[in-house]
Amino acid sequence: MQERTQSVWQRMLGIDRRWLYLVLFVNIVTFLVAPIRMPASISPPVQKFYDEIEKLQPGDLVMISSNWSASTLAENQPQLEAVIAHLMRKQARFTIISIEAQSRDISYRLAERVTKDKGYQYGEQWAHFGFVPNLIVAIKGMVNDLPNTIKQDVRGTAVNQLPVVRGVKSLSDYKMIIDVTPSGTLPIWISYSPKNVPILYCPTSVMAAEAYTYLDSGQIKGMITGAKGAQEYEQLLGVVGLGTRFMNAISFSHVLIILFILLGNFAMLMNRLQLRREG
Amino acid sequence: MGVLNHLIAQQSVWQLPEGSRVLFATLIVLGAFVLFLGLIPVLQTLPPRGRRAIVVIITFLAGLFFAAEFFLPINWTAIFPKDDPTRNFLTPAIQPAQNVLQIIGALALGLGTFGLVRLHLRNVVQKRAQWGYSIVLLVSFITMATFSILNTLAEKEIVERGPVLERGFSILFDYTLVQLDAAMFSLIAFYIFSAAYRAFRIRSIEASILMFTAMLVMIGVVPLGAYLSYTLLGLPEGAAPEGANFLTQVQHNIGLPKIANWVLTQLNAPAQRAIEFGVGIGGLAMAIRLWLSLERGVT
Amino acid sequence: MDWLQFLPLSLDRISVWIGVLCTLAIYSLLYRENPIYRFFEHMYIGLAAGYSLGPLGVDILYRYWIEPIWIQGYWAWAFVVPYGMYLYFIFSERYGWMSRIVIGTLIGASAGLFFQEFSSRYLPQLNSTLQKPLWVGSANPDLTYGMVINNFLFVIILLSVLTYFTFSYEQRGPVKRVAIWGRWFLMIGLGAIFGNTVMARMALLIGRIYYLLNDWLMIRVGGG
Repeated sequence: MQERTQSVWQRMLGIDRRWLYLVLFVNIVTFLVAPIRMPASISPPVQKFYDEIEKLQPGDLVMISSNWSASTLAENQPQLEAVIAHLMRKQARFTIISIEAQSRDISYRLAERVTKDKGYQYGEQWAHFGFVPNLIVAIKGMVNDLPNTIKQDVRGTAVNQLPVVRGVKSLSDYKMIIDVTPSGTLPIWISYSPKNVPILYCPTSVMAAEAYTYLDSGQIKGMITGAKGAQEYEQLLGVVGLGTRFMNAISFSHVLIILFILLGNFAMLMNRLQLRREG
Repeated sequence: MGVLNHLIAQQSVWQLPEGSRVLFATLIVLGAFVLFLGLIPVLQTLPPRGRRAIVVIITFLAGLFFAAEFFLPINWTAIFPKDDPTRNFLTPAIQPAQNVLQIIGALALGLGTFGLVRLHLRNVVQKRAQWGYSIVLLVSFITMATFSILNTLAEKEIVERGPVLERGFSILFDYTLVQLDAAMFSLIAFYIFSAAYRAFRIRSIEASILMFTAMLVMIGVVPLGAYLSYTLLGLPEGAAPEGANFLTQVQHNIGLPKIANWVLTQLNAPAQRAIEFGVGIGGLAMAIRLWLSLERGVT
Repeated sequence: MDWLQFLPLSLDRISVWIGVLCTLAIYSLLYRENPIYRFFEHMYIGLAAGYSLGPLGVDILYRYWIEPIWIQGYWAWAFVVPYGMYLYFIFSERYGWMSRIVIGTLIGASAGLFFQEFSSRYLPQLNSTLQKPLWVGSANPDLTYGMVINNFLFVIILLSVLTYFTFSYEQRGPVKRVAIWGRWFLMIGLGAIFGNTVMARMALLIGRIYYLLNDWLMIRVGGG
């Protein structure tokens, strides 16, 4: 084969991946450290989410389905923190259930931490129902007979002795379901939970686009999209959380990726033109 | 069915007397294991047709229960006057069925762990290539399993939570497992960035539409989009006032966040709904095939 | 930087350093495949598998099996675990078929449950589509022309994407043209998914770098 010197476009196209990784890393570090903070424009699904929780009365009961593990920590943790902060502000009671083993401990430890700061009492105002591997039948069971389906919370207290769910017979006694998830649990909640309980949704951004059909049909009443939605929510609550801290870097990582897609296409085009010119 | 309801309601038949409960319970559990062990040679004598028949019947009955519970009308007071009018006679059985399925689900999840440990034990015993890593895996497995079980038991106050358990579990879980998990999945960002540069080529109308939408969404939904539209270009934010002229209305609706939201709710939502309909019909067909054991390779 | 606070001299700092070590070991893969990465990868799998035994054993087996039998005395539950254990025959060539009895229970149950999913997940979407008003009239006083145009667009996109998904007959003539438009509209949906996927992946990486900067290097980040 004939040795040919590579053109600048060919060299650009064949660049070592590790340089690209470095560019991304430096970009993120720069904009994480940069002392700028841009306010978000509140998107309608987040506003609806907020309004829906604003309607809660003190003492209303909310079911949080927390199904994320550390792999999506940066997306789901800001959401769960913001949502619990809002629920505590409304003096609502809440219970958490997890379909994912790791999420059981992550959400339990997170809720313990954020409720302790606000003096929220475990057992009185919130509880964790632990882990169930089969969400469908768990929901069917909870609709039918909640205390006998859950039986006991993570601390081993029988559910019918927990003050937070005193008198609760069924999932229909709840005022709201909030699904914080990186996996396909939303359709399960939509399909099997009681129709009178509104569902709010906190997906990772990956899954947000697919959920717009449920927003349109009213099957979910509001949505917080990933860390970006969490930032908008934090803004509505007037607090600074992880969502707000991440947002600058997210914005500019998008700019970077768009620039590089265009750059890659431009290099390919120029390369092709050059090859054509050279015959 | 009346008899069944009567039996379920009759606590004494199903519940062991309080006095020597632990002893009886242990005996019954042992008996159950012996029974199912004894069933193995019996089942094994079945010809292939008989084996398949058992699987098909059990699959069908499990499906029939949930399907019937859903399809049967709820008000059965005409036939069973004492029945609760808000549910049909199968509904009370949902709750025990859920307990059974949770237990089987847990055993099924344990299957993966069992297979993994078995594989790596074999690696070590047979000293296969790179069996050192298998030792790492097994040691971390045993350590974590011990701490995890003790931690969950301590939460229920069955065992005492000492400082070693507290700190040990925290280091293993919060500072090792969680960090490794988060780090592992964050690697994808590097790959997606590299792939976008090297492989995302605009060669067709489809690719152009896809990329244009992606870019619009990427910029429109983040604060940068709001900054560009409302601060830099000075477009008015929020909804247009009542009775505003056309130009004002347009100005109120061409901010990047507004356009991105419109794309997501008006162009993306119907496309997603069409996918949903496709999945739904396919899912229904698949469910019926699985239920009736028409799907090859499963039963 | 206060070096005494930064160095791993207290239990809390040691924990943070362990987390950093894990993160950097995983990231070493970006440079090239290496033994350190392999070590931590195996450790990760071992930890994840080991961890699951706690919730599985205590949350499920204790809650739904041990306590009901030994403490509450409901003896009939005794049969569930021996039955479920048949699953483990899946590793045996001779008895493997018996695991299918239990798998059949799970499959049958989820198939039977799907009818409810179909009616509560998909039918309300159909309903919502059919209820979209397509003209401004006295029946819908709040409706504007903008909304009507949006509704028309919604229905057109839905129908054309569905046309694209119809494979039962050969698409020819005008149907094919609609299907092509359907494919283009589908690309808008996929583009939205792609844009959001990039955002999610970036967020996960940013979360990790945030940990390195904030928890480890103790730099104030995220706009102060």
